[in-house]
Amino acid sequence: MEHVSPFDLNTALRLWLEQLGQSPQVKAENLKELESHVCDSVTRLQTKGLSSEESFLVATHRVGSPAKLEPEFAKVNRNPLNKILHGLILIIFSVGCWLLWAILHLPVMMGVAMHGRTPPAFTQFVVGCGAYLAAPPLLAAGYCLYVWTRKPGRENSWVGFFATTMALLFFTTLPTLIAILLPIIQFMNLATPK
Amino acid sequence: MLSKELVAASTVPLVLSVLTQGESYGYELIQRVRELSGGRIEWTEGMLYPVLHWMEEEELIESEWREAETGRKRKYYRLRKDGRKALHEEKQQWLSVHDTLTKLWNTYPRST
Repeated sequence: MEHVSPFDLNTALRLWLEQLGQSPQVKAENLKELESHVCDSVTRLQTKGLSSEESFLVATHRVGSPAKLEPEFAKVNRNPLNKILHGLILIIFSVGCWLLWAILHLPVMMGVAMHGRTPPAFTQFVVGCGAYLAAPPLLAAGYCLYVWTRKPGRENSWVGFFATTMALLFFTTLPTLIAILLPIIQFMNLATPK
Repeated sequence: MLSKELVAASTVPLVLSVLTQGESYGYELIQRVRELSGGRIEWTEGMLYPVLHWMEEEELIESEWREAETGRKRKYYRLRKDGRKALHEEKQQWLSVHDTLTKLWNTYPRST
């Protein structure tokens, strides 16, 4: 004769919660609240004459399947990874801007090495603009603050932030490289013995 | 039974309205709405909790974990000032829809 193990409500509830808790979208507090809900529901159904197994099945069915619940919880439980990635991008972008600012001091140093000869006009223009390199990281930091303090459900993707900052860095690097290459060429021309 | 879309749209005003009668917890909120609607409004019960948490983030309601008479812990929700304001706005909007439909159905009763 087949042995049928008696239904244990606590075990069934624990297994159900474990299954639901596998999703990273469902937080421990959500599980605690759903547990309390199922317990209330089971108690009520038992008073209507259902067995504990039947009550549990009906109660969990009414709560909904994990597949249905996960996307709903994901809307309110923000993924911390998005915030971390915004922070990392901000650091990379700020360091990149600082490096460009540092590189822009090279033509000035080379001007000294060239015994006071003035660098090319384009270099002078780019070096003059170098002072404004502090503005993009400040703007990016302001945007990150906005993203970090924003209410859930309205998450800004890090991809857009990454694309914007990297494009800005790329288009700032190009004139900077040209600006420092011009006086190097000039310096080499002067240094070459005729 | 109400359509899924209408049930979803009415969740926030229903929760706010039930909470005007005093604090409550998830299971009780569902039971109250089921009872008042005569079973016509049926929520997928688990779906209510993300909505409650969203309402909490929006500062419409606040919550507190407390021990119930059964000895189990329950999360009780209550209305906040912004929640009362939101409910007032929701009420105006739902009444506008109701008034418009009532006028239309009274003017053109045969089409309904």
